[in-house]
Amino acid sequence: MKKVKVLILRTAGTNCDYETQFAFELCKAVVERVHISSLVERKDRISKYDILVFPGGFSYGDDIASGKILANEIKNKLGDEIKKFALDNKPIIGICNGFQVLVKMGLLPEPDVFRQSSTLSYNDSGKFECRWVYLKTCKKNDSESNCIWTKNLPDIISLPIAHGEGKFIPSNKKLLSTLNKNEQVVFKYSTKNGDIPQYPLIPNGSIEQIAGMCNAKGNVFGLMPHPERYIFSLQHPAKKGFNKKYGWGKVIFQNAVDFVK
Amino acid sequence: MFEIEVLTKKDFKNPQNEHILSDIASMGIASIAKVRYSPLYFICGKIRFSDVKIIASELLIDKITESYVIRRCSDLDVKDVNLKMNSSASIIEVWYKKGITDTVAESVVKAVKDLNINVEVKIKVGHKYYLYSKESQTTLNNNPIKSVIELIATKLLANTLVQDCKIR
Amino acid sequence: MKHSLVCKIVDILDLSDRELVKLSKINVLALSLIEMKTIQGYFAKLKRNPTDVELETIAQTWSEHCKHKTLTGIIEYIQENQEGKIKKIYNNLLKETIFKATVELNKKWCLSVFEDNAGIIEFDSKNGVAFKVETHNHPSALEPYGGSATGVGGVIRDILGVGLGAKPLANTDIFCFGEPNIKDSKVPEGMHHPKRIAKGVVSGVRDYGNKMGIPTVNGAVYFDNGYMSNPLVYCGTMGIISKNKIKKKVNHGDLILVVGGKTGRDGIHGATFSSVQIDKKSDLSVVQIGNPIVEKKVLDAMLKARDLNLYRAVTDCGAGGLSSAIGELGAKTGAIVYLDKVPLKYDGLRPWEIWISESQERMVFAVPKKNKKKLIEIFKKENVEAALIGEFTEDKKLTLIYNNDIVANIDMHFLHNGIPKLKRLAIYKEKKEKIQKSVDMNSLEILKALKVILADLNVCSKEWIIRQYDYEVQGQTIIKPLQGNNIEISGPGDAVVIFPYSIVKNTKKGIVLSNGLNPQYGKINTYKMAASAIEESLRNAVSVGADIEKIAILDNFCWGNPNKSEILGSLVRAANACYDISKAFEVPFISGKDSLHNEYSVDGRKYSIPPALLISAIGVIEDVANTVTMPLKDEGNKIFILGITRNELGGSVFSKVKGFKNGIVPSVYPNESRTIMKKIYQTINRNLIESCHDCSEGGLAIAVSEMAFASGKGVYVDIDTINIGVEESLTTAETLFSESNGRFIVEIKPKNVTEFKNLIKDCVFAEIGYVRDDRKVVFESRKNKIKVQEKSEVLFNSWSGTINW
Repeated sequence: MKKVKVLILRTAGTNCDYETQFAFELCKAVVERVHISSLVERKDRISKYDILVFPGGFSYGDDIASGKILANEIKNKLGDEIKKFALDNKPIIGICNGFQVLVKMGLLPEPDVFRQSSTLSYNDSGKFECRWVYLKTCKKNDSESNCIWTKNLPDIISLPIAHGEGKFIPSNKKLLSTLNKNEQVVFKYSTKNGDIPQYPLIPNGSIEQIAGMCNAKGNVFGLMPHPERYIFSLQHPAKKGFNKKYGWGKVIFQNAVDFVK
Repeated sequence: MFEIEVLTKKDFKNPQNEHILSDIASMGIASIAKVRYSPLYFICGKIRFSDVKIIASELLIDKITESYVIRRCSDLDVKDVNLKMNSSASIIEVWYKKGITDTVAESVVKAVKDLNINVEVKIKVGHKYYLYSKESQTTLNNNPIKSVIELIATKLLANTLVQDCKIR
Repeated sequence: MKHSLVCKIVDILDLSDRELVKLSKINVLALSLIEMKTIQGYFAKLKRNPTDVELETIAQTWSEHCKHKTLTGIIEYIQENQEGKIKKIYNNLLKETIFKATVELNKKWCLSVFEDNAGIIEFDSKNGVAFKVETHNHPSALEPYGGSATGVGGVIRDILGVGLGAKPLANTDIFCFGEPNIKDSKVPEGMHHPKRIAKGVVSGVRDYGNKMGIPTVNGAVYFDNGYMSNPLVYCGTMGIISKNKIKKKVNHGDLILVVGGKTGRDGIHGATFSSVQIDKKSDLSVVQIGNPIVEKKVLDAMLKARDLNLYRAVTDCGAGGLSSAIGELGAKTGAIVYLDKVPLKYDGLRPWEIWISESQERMVFAVPKKNKKKLIEIFKKENVEAALIGEFTEDKKLTLIYNNDIVANIDMHFLHNGIPKLKRLAIYKEKKEKIQKSVDMNSLEILKALKVILADLNVCSKEWIIRQYDYEVQGQTIIKPLQGNNIEISGPGDAVVIFPYSIVKNTKKGIVLSNGLNPQYGKINTYKMAASAIEESLRNAVSVGADIEKIAILDNFCWGNPNKSEILGSLVRAANACYDISKAFEVPFISGKDSLHNEYSVDGRKYSIPPALLISAIGVIEDVANTVTMPLKDEGNKIFILGITRNELGGSVFSKVKGFKNGIVPSVYPNESRTIMKKIYQTINRNLIESCHDCSEGGLAIAVSEMAFASGKGVYVDIDTINIGVEESLTTAETLFSESNGRFIVEIKPKNVTEFKNLIKDCVFAEIGYVRDDRKVVFESRKNKIKVQEKSEVLFNSWSGTINW
């Protein structure tokens, strides 16, 4: 069977790389954590990988704004390679800080345009917050998600969030309706029953409760919650999960690995 | 030398404004009605205006929610240029004192290089607060308000041990 | 020797005693006359005056902060109580109390105690876990944000600098502040308002911990106006390290590599300053601003280098900077350092400033010459500053060079062992504790008191703080600081469990972290305070599933001015408790730290802080699946209490809110408690316990209420069943609010009750109630015709409304 190769892009302030690596390894992928400076030296290396990951953390301290400096660096130094990776229909995921990077360099929502058209701004509460939330999985015709990362999930899952700037804001209404039309909205903050939640279950005031989104093709995925922190049921506040052992976050990584296979 | 002020666009709000306002209220000061916060970046070096514009628009602001103004500063008169944009507001500016580590400024220098702007620049990062009084408090005699503003500056917004604050 | 212009010769050989004292004071050396005279004598033998570099080096090395000279000095101790006087001489208080218990307990699973930057216990056959807690009080008083941030940064470096470097897994942070609602006019001039300090400190801890990617998982906040001008900021870090990386070794010929942040004028005299009282004229240069991203880069790069075995020793630059780090690493060999090779933030630093600066985020390595290139390459790749600045020698001397001039040349032996032993007098006058007048309250009064206590600053929810910390990063926090049965509501957990699955592959084991602190007791009796703090930390750990046989503890003393014999006496008394209780529970101390001289002056008068002993506990558990949380689980389950409720309201939250003067401070009964703790571990491992919570601040009523509102369920407690194991009977209020140690509340499924009772038959226990299906919390005493009842949601609101800034 084909070995699926995952690249976790690392830089100063990256900090969810170990657990993200573990999550992919649990799904039988081969993972390398690579520092951006060595990627910039050998840009051609990127295309050798099957999956590209922008992990969580505080890249460059989140100075100026979360993910901004890394987005700026990647766009200017690795822009062409990253864009090609996305347009080649290879899976890309940005988690929390990684999502902020994807949005701020404009790889989401439209990698072919590759210009920032939405943002992740300060939480309405004005605070960094760590807590678990419910997420509603948005499904095409109520059957399956449009995004390759989020198939095989129940309607409602829970994941932890930890961020200060997670309020999704599109530049205009047209973009928002395009996102909805193309089924690019993947996760919405919700109540336990799938209803529209109040703070703190919607921790940041995101427009239309958007917590995660993908490109129109569904291979580039970004989300504020941390699926890598819920791969075992033990990690859940009440130790809940599936098959008595796993957390729903694992399915997200498994989906991408299976997609490549 | 240039100063870039980042402004929140009209349709958006920076939640920090509310936090500062509530901190002011909890100090027992009831005369402030509204607060507006702006980050400031002071750029020093042989840099062209067009490059400063790129830095402002591509790096320092969030295109969706923020805009900017750039002010050209002369060497001698750095702080007094156009500080007061809105006459109804009192303004407090906070900057780190010389010699105090300014980590954000170091990051901005790195990011400017990433933009392929290859000029040696020095950056200082500051904070600007516009404080709007409640209407009934706006008197011709500014003195009582000034003392309140000073209190807010030194007891809330700046630690004068490591930061300088300028009040207008 | 030739001296450069930037280095001054300090004339001390001809100084009188008075002039020596003055010299020490002017230069913030914080050295006593005897110490100054010892230095004078040393240089008299060398027939020359010292340079400023040498004098500063000695002052730093001999500082209270680095040398702990009070606790390791000679103490003449007098203890007075009604029965009379006891006199005792301690030649080294630490060795004769805290360390002695550890030596006598001789636990094989203690891998490194009191010798390195942190204590290390065994995790499994291949790994150890290291734990260290530090204080950063004075800097946090002056610049709360920068002070607390650099406190976190500093203790993380302790973990990076233990052995050949441990990987940090979790942070703990405990604070003592003045009360946040105090009027501005009552805050001493020049000091920050306690709320500003509290907010600044929390922000500093949040930003540094979060940006390092280390979850801040455990903590406590204690409010008392005794800490208004002198807050306490305890920062702890736990890390994991391979057993074969625990020992360091420095060979002569090894190169000295300094890595990380550049050196500036920040934090000069931090080590000596920490033993000088705070006042409004305190010096600007002690303030440091940290940069967590620089430290994160150091962490990433050095762990890579560690796994390639590229260096032989490492330590962090903490208090005393390079002087302390290189002085320690080279104590047995000698070292030569070229100060002009140290990377600087800006020009103009004098040699002594470079040498003792406490600029943040720096680590020092001893590197075999052959690995030089490879190691530097690793740091360069991660954009980390790394500079070779000298070499370890075999001449047992410390030699410092600046621009080809020798600016210091002193014997390592004198530097590390030349300090004269301090001799201090300590007096402890035991306060007589009187039982309070019998507390009779009706149902309504009790309910009111319950709500007031739940809302008390020292009991109320700290959610506002906790959620600002990323306590989930690394994904290993499986028992969380806030515990609930679902996502919507949660209550205060006793301890956390870290499951290091991504580091130790295929492990089932976990690491428990908890703490104990209660300065209120110390105002009356520091022995009981220390004993209670130890027990509380153990109870907290046991409540989530820790094994009392596998717990180690850390001590952090924050005390006032030890030159005052009564203050020192209260410390000796607490140290005695540490020995007694550690021995009795068979729980060894593995590391500790003291911060003395917590004193501040207002209008010319000096005040010492209320003494505070923080005990931090670390335990290793066999199977993380066998852990429990504190919220009640299911309607109909039975509630039990284990342990004896005594009439112990002295120093309690109840007596504080009611304004009682009298009351007996809770004692510790190790035999009773230890048996209960062992049994709880056994029953948890047989899956017999659904939820568990210990009784601490506020007593039983608070513990039970918290268990109920953390799950949104109701509970019924029959108070008449609780009075067990004691002769005197307590009133209802006394039973509900007494803070007796050694008590746990547990929830048992009806079908497990028989087996549970059988297992715990050696303990004092009682079935006291059950989980209700109507969301009401009810305490009833039919005997006293008292029925206290309230919706658990209402109690939750009392508890959660206090701190919401």
